[in-house]
Amino acid sequence: MSVAIAEALSAPEFRAAGTDLSERRRSGLSCGSIIDLTASPDTIGIAWSADGAARIGALTAIAAIASDARLAQAYPGIAAAAQGLATPQIRHMATLGGNLAQRSRCWYFRNPQIACLKKGGSDCPARSGNHLYHVAFDLGPCVAPHPSTMAMALLAYDAKIVTDRRSGLSITDLLGDGSNGAADNLLAPGERIERIELPAPLAGERALYKRAISRTHAEWPLVEVCVRAVIEGGVFREVHLTAGGIAPVPLRLAASAAALRGKPADASTIAHAAELATSGARPLTMTGYKLDLLTGLVRDLVERIAA
Amino acid sequence: MSTTTINGRVESLPDDPDALLIDIVRDQLKLTGTKLVCGAGVCGACTVLVDGAPVASCLMPAHAAAGKAVTTVEAIGATGLHPVQKAFMAHDALQCGFCTPGFIVEATAFCDRWRATKGTAVPSREEIGAALSGHLCRCGAYDGIFRAVADACAGRFDGDNVTAPRIEARDKVTGAAKYTVDINHDGQLEGLILRSREAHARITALDLAPARALAGVTAVSLLGDDRIVRYVGEPIAAVAAKDRRTALAALAAIKLTSERLPAVVGLDAGRKDGAPVVFDKANRKRAGNVSEAAGGPAPWKQNIRGPTAVFSTRAKKARNWVDEARQANNRLLVEATFRTATQQHACLEPHAAVARFDGDRLTLHASTQQVFHLKEQIAKRYKLDHDKVRVIADHVGGGFGSKASLGVETIAAIELAREAKAPVRVAYDRQEELSVAGYRPAAELKVALLPSDKGGLKALSVTAHADTGAATNSTIAGLARLIYPAEAKDLSDFDVISNLPPGAAFRGPGGPPMAFAVEQAIDEAALRLKVDPIALRKKWDPDPNRQRLYDWASGLEIWRSRKPVQNGRYRRGIGMATGYWLYLWQPNVKVEVAVKGGRIVASTATQDIGTGTRSVLADTIARELDLEPSDIEVRIGDSSLPEGPGSGGSRVTASVMPPTLQAVRKLKAAILEQATRKPAPGSNAPWRELIARSPDIAVVETRGEDGKNTAPGIRSPLREVGLMGMVFGWMMRRFSNIAVGAGVPSSVQVIEVEVDTWLGHVRVLNVHTGIAVGKIAAPALARSQACGAVIQGLGYALYEARELDPTSGDVLTAGMEDYRIPGIADTPEIDVHFDEAGFDHVLGNSVGIGEASTVPTSAAVANAIHDAIGVRLTEIPIRPDRIVAALKGRDAA
Repeated sequence: MSVAIAEALSAPEFRAAGTDLSERRRSGLSCGSIIDLTASPDTIGIAWSADGAARIGALTAIAAIASDARLAQAYPGIAAAAQGLATPQIRHMATLGGNLAQRSRCWYFRNPQIACLKKGGSDCPARSGNHLYHVAFDLGPCVAPHPSTMAMALLAYDAKIVTDRRSGLSITDLLGDGSNGAADNLLAPGERIERIELPAPLAGERALYKRAISRTHAEWPLVEVCVRAVIEGGVFREVHLTAGGIAPVPLRLAASAAALRGKPADASTIAHAAELATSGARPLTMTGYKLDLLTGLVRDLVERIAA
Repeated sequence: MSTTTINGRVESLPDDPDALLIDIVRDQLKLTGTKLVCGAGVCGACTVLVDGAPVASCLMPAHAAAGKAVTTVEAIGATGLHPVQKAFMAHDALQCGFCTPGFIVEATAFCDRWRATKGTAVPSREEIGAALSGHLCRCGAYDGIFRAVADACAGRFDGDNVTAPRIEARDKVTGAAKYTVDINHDGQLEGLILRSREAHARITALDLAPARALAGVTAVSLLGDDRIVRYVGEPIAAVAAKDRRTALAALAAIKLTSERLPAVVGLDAGRKDGAPVVFDKANRKRAGNVSEAAGGPAPWKQNIRGPTAVFSTRAKKARNWVDEARQANNRLLVEATFRTATQQHACLEPHAAVARFDGDRLTLHASTQQVFHLKEQIAKRYKLDHDKVRVIADHVGGGFGSKASLGVETIAAIELAREAKAPVRVAYDRQEELSVAGYRPAAELKVALLPSDKGGLKALSVTAHADTGAATNSTIAGLARLIYPAEAKDLSDFDVISNLPPGAAFRGPGGPPMAFAVEQAIDEAALRLKVDPIALRKKWDPDPNRQRLYDWASGLEIWRSRKPVQNGRYRRGIGMATGYWLYLWQPNVKVEVAVKGGRIVASTATQDIGTGTRSVLADTIARELDLEPSDIEVRIGDSSLPEGPGSGGSRVTASVMPPTLQAVRKLKAAILEQATRKPAPGSNAPWRELIARSPDIAVVETRGEDGKNTAPGIRSPLREVGLMGMVFGWMMRRFSNIAVGAGVPSSVQVIEVEVDTWLGHVRVLNVHTGIAVGKIAAPALARSQACGAVIQGLGYALYEARELDPTSGDVLTAGMEDYRIPGIADTPEIDVHFDEAGFDHVLGNSVGIGEASTVPTSAAVANAIHDAIGVRLTEIPIRPDRIVAALKGRDAA
């Protein structure tokens, strides 16, 4: 093992519920010290402002987000994303902050015997190797899709992240633009996420979330999409579309959203916007199929939100 | 030091921040009902309740349980079974039982929540599927689990009555059943294996001294005398230490130098001219075996072993006719290339062995499919007296063919235990289990099928190349000989050897890939001939067992009301396919049936890998004596009992039933003869009374030959194919101790699917599986096997594929989240039809069900998808990427 790899694996790590970390400890992918996070009123639970905006503590369990009735009313895309990820046992333990800060699920990264960019290595073995489940928007040296479903949903809501050092971070500030292949997020060493702040919901907004997978449940998304829209008089007034599973960071589908905004909510508008979801895509040899799934998923969700 | 409450007792928690809750439960408290399988929160086998909520104890830090109340499966039902446990027992919602404790814990929590808020309303399949989505069962017991959870929620198991068609069910739903990984002797050490990081290398130096220098560490070499490793993961050495952490440190201390050799990975690269050769001539005997029996001789050049073509008939004619038809653009000629993926057995209990020497006596607990034969193999290898080796397997957490040989886990455990003079456990971790523990080889099949002018089958040509890794002896194409007689058949099998772990036998070896290709070609021929696919099979396949199944299938309402190809996003289709397996039995199998202390005891050295062998024996004897199965004590899983069959080749039922019946008949006569008092006139239970008063009597009977009188058309399939078949049959018996009987166990399946053309998702709506394996010995358990076979077949068709790094051969799908087996919510409605005729010449009239029932599934799914979308999927698994590519007419990833 090279010095760089040993260093990458022996950095101290925070532990919330440990649903990601415990597996990496067992396999030898995390060998440094563990700093257990303990909840304070500020870092756990859901709080509401007078204007109807929510703040979610980083140590709030995914299951608590998935089952909160007021959150489901105000931010249905976030609730649906929380309901759709992992399994009931994992959702019960795993936290929102942990979901944002989890490490890549890439099968090369997860193999402790194989060097890669995220382990201090010098290149990405998936790029030249087997990248069946990897990115279709090739934005950086590492081709693993970002694993955080919650980040993708929070991006659709323009959420802001508060850490113990900084506040007002966007999801892009937190996770970057995909050009840094060595890390899964841009938190400084020792910096930890404390809470997530959501803007007040728009009047009349709706949202949907869905992932495309091969089985019925409990699978990492091939592609996942969150759509948030305000439709008035049969016209899209506001549209936010984000996607995961396809790029090193959650993506805004800006071209699709722009093609919907101000347009009638009809089938041909939606089909056209769905085709634009792949604007800027650069699939790898094995991931072209993800573009078809992305188009299909956008069309599915936007048709349903307009129905 | 903090504490937690586990099953009502306060327990201290270690300070070690890496200690996980499962370590406390299993290792500290020896509560072994909680199982460690995936170690990643995917399979749910380790589920416990923490303050009433199910959690994955393999991920939860122990200290996070501080101040909380933990409940394990052992506490559920400790004061009376929970309704969910009774429902699992009654619906036979389990097979091998290894996943069962996790399911029980989750399902009881779900049921209690449900009852608290919804009373006795019945949850839907969708609700149950979502609630149990964090659990996986490799046997595919999901059909029973649906029914059990629904009925428990509905209040149908609130009473005291407990019934169970599977006699060991109570031990499995309470976590009491002990598997090899649960064995814990005093002073037992933990063994780990050092494995190759290179795909191909010569080990130039192996220095175990630094490992042995660590306190309490034992180390042995596992290198062969050629010192060559041929795949990533090949064993090099093994260490044993007081715990896993110390053993890991010992592995890291071993000094290894190697000289890298050129490597070749996979089916395509392995066939290229000039590819590096994996086995030179002197070392070919080191290759593994992917079939259930030993293979015959075959040409072997570089990395290609084959063709094996003994099952061809008029092969040259077949080739000529196909060539002529191709040149004539005969539109009836069906030609296609099919590809099947590597399927991992993915047993939930890993390969494991615990060896203990008491003086010169060896006791080995092993997760094995063959306690008796394993004992003989060990005695031979280590030159031990047969009566000084004892192999025990009370319960086995799945096998599917992968635990039918003397494996590295056993060799390492024995050699470490001998060296350390202490008991040693070797249990594979999930990465090992999903990479080096065997698999069904991927294959490429080129098929040409030519109907005759008169609508018969003129020629069938199948050439199969199997991706066997460091192993040989694949038979795929050859299996196309024993079905659909043709004027000429050209059937060639090739092994493509490369620097990958060796494949192994897997449930009907060669059968599912053969069916995937040939059954699609038959389907295509039916379309071109414009005849009903079942009618065509009825015409081309004269086997009497399948003729009856075709009649059943063509009468199904779903088949009669098929609709033409649809448009729109969601498209439904119906497909069917046929499968068969050989009827195999094992000569010399002995069963003892005895009266001991006023009870009936049946003994034979076989094992139950989830198939239901205990119940087959108990039910059979109970029927003969008018007793309840629970009255019979069944002793299996111990090599010191009379010689019993291996659990492979679907041979157990047909091997143990006849001697059991003979023994019972003789025992009855002996009991009557020795009875001092006859039963009271008009007694309802004469045998119960006679047995209770009988002195101890034991009868041992050996499996004899079957009767010669068979029903019309029922013959040995090997005899039917002439001299080569008879030679093959003789070899099977001589070298593998397996006899091929008359009659062909068969299965016909009709499957309906719905394809989401936008998201490439295939949903299987319902499956009708018709099975002809003679009289059903234990109906509820046979149904479980039939459903499990379908579910494993669906995994093969839709989800499962080993993925590799194309250069190194590293297995990338080495965890349960990446190696995708079906979950409960992927399970369709399954209708099981048993046709119980066809095996009257076998005493008891029963043969095995395990393999025939899984062969047709992938082909039926592919035919149904073709029916839905009008495109033929020639490669499995049929994942979303392949569906969207097929719809666009381009190549998939």
